[in-house]
Amino acid sequence: MKDLECQIVSNQMVCEDTYLLQACCDFESWKPGQFVMVRINDSFEPFLRRPLGILAYHESKLELLYKVVGDGTRCLSLKKPGEIIAVLGPLGNGFRIPAGDEQVTYVAGGAGLPPILALAEHIKKGTLIIGARTRSNMPLLTRIQSITGVETLIVTDDGSIGPKALAADILEEVIQDSHLPGIVYACGPPAMLKKTALISQAKGLACQVSLEERMACGFGVCTGCIVATKSGNQRVCREGPVFEAAQIRWS
Amino acid sequence: MDTTIRITDELVLKNPVMSASGTFAYGEEFSEVIDLSLLGGIVTKGLSLEPSKGNPVPRIVETPCGMINSIGLENIGIEAFLKSKLPLLGQWKTPVVVNFYGTNEDDYEILASMLDSKKDVAALEMNVSCPNIKKGGIHFGKDPDYLYSLVSKVRQATNKTLLVKLSPLASDIAEVAISVQEAGADGITCVNTIPAMAIDENTWMPVLANITGGLSGPAIKPVALYMVWEVSKHVHIPIIAAGGAASYRDVIQFMLAGASAVEIGSYALRDPFCFTTIIEGLDKYMQENALDRLEDIVGKLKT
Repeated sequence: MKDLECQIVSNQMVCEDTYLLQACCDFESWKPGQFVMVRINDSFEPFLRRPLGILAYHESKLELLYKVVGDGTRCLSLKKPGEIIAVLGPLGNGFRIPAGDEQVTYVAGGAGLPPILALAEHIKKGTLIIGARTRSNMPLLTRIQSITGVETLIVTDDGSIGPKALAADILEEVIQDSHLPGIVYACGPPAMLKKTALISQAKGLACQVSLEERMACGFGVCTGCIVATKSGNQRVCREGPVFEAAQIRWS
Repeated sequence: MDTTIRITDELVLKNPVMSASGTFAYGEEFSEVIDLSLLGGIVTKGLSLEPSKGNPVPRIVETPCGMINSIGLENIGIEAFLKSKLPLLGQWKTPVVVNFYGTNEDDYEILASMLDSKKDVAALEMNVSCPNIKKGGIHFGKDPDYLYSLVSKVRQATNKTLLVKLSPLASDIAEVAISVQEAGADGITCVNTIPAMAIDENTWMPVLANITGGLSGPAIKPVALYMVWEVSKHVHIPIIAAGGAASYRDVIQFMLAGASAVEIGSYALRDPFCFTTIIEGLDKYMQENALDRLEDIVGKLKT
């Protein structure tokens, strides 16, 4: 874990409320599913860093895709190319990459897109299901539809792209045709994750979920971001953010 | 230049910069980030007799220049701590201060006697001021008479250096501090978080699952500074400041107000490398101000 001063290369709105930030960065290694804690300003506003899932890292360039949801992300969205942000990371465990020829399915909803896209771009195979509210808040459409080896199915709440459906409902159809063994990766709203976990379990598929929780430190010392698991409380930032879905005690 | 701070004969710090309880866990994560031997002292997460699961999430909310937490003293319990964490902490050349709390008086006594025999423990910090647990915590810390009796009992149970961490909620913190001193405490940690809450105006619900929590960070520094100053006028035992310190300048300010050492809490969550920066800043300050002994500035506020 390092705290890196990173110069912003670009920081552009890619759809309603969502920005793609590129910054020069120097990670020794990283894994899809890991995240960074971004210190937005030198001043005490905002006081805490923001946890953001890594979208991509290549050729010393870090890509973060984030939605403006509050004061911190709003401050970040105002940053201009050339400005510096401090990036602590990469943090967390990351996804388990399949070793063999398992059938791979990804489910992403809302702000859960970055780690799933990072994974799909890394594994380069499988079916990617993305749920969005409507066309105007579906970012990086062209990039997503051209991921090598990955078939993409987009659904929206209003039918403005793809069928009017929930991502987890499409999952049931997709894995009907799949063969074992298989693995499902998911990141998104808790209700979607829970449903994805139950469907995967019923079909006998492994399932890994990447969880989101409010964080203060991001590296395990404050225990602000715990999740109840079958082996007790675990820290989303340290033992996670990726968990075996079967280990989670869903509320 | 001498940055040594003597709290007691048993608790001598190489510099006044300490971790604060609850933002440093048991030191393992920070040991991957910084050299723990550089610190003046390490204060552990608050420990109880039995493991505690703490409060539900959300446990954290950011506020202007600070944050509110309602962790609820989640911890692994004293036995697991002694077995798996203390041996690792003891390897650093930095005094270990074990923060502990009880939900009744007996717990406090038992914990103090369990820790009394441990060579890797330099001092105990008694938490009588956590705003996030229903039993014990802050309720023990507000009443000077009750606190006198509780600290006296703990004093009987240990010969280790005993620090008592006060609540900023006491109606007269000087009175509470005097009681703690009379009961035999060796030092006072001043102060714990300030009870606080946050509300979501869209859902009409509290942000924290526990409804209320404790405010920390630079937002509370002026309050902590005042309380250190107030307490220092009334007691002769050393004071360890806690409350929003984020820079070497803050450390100097707390020392001028009367603190012998300063715990860095919430700011280390934002910047885990700040301990090193602060210690370096103190050296530079001493050079620039031709100070030979840092301890000499304690309580030297010109009024």
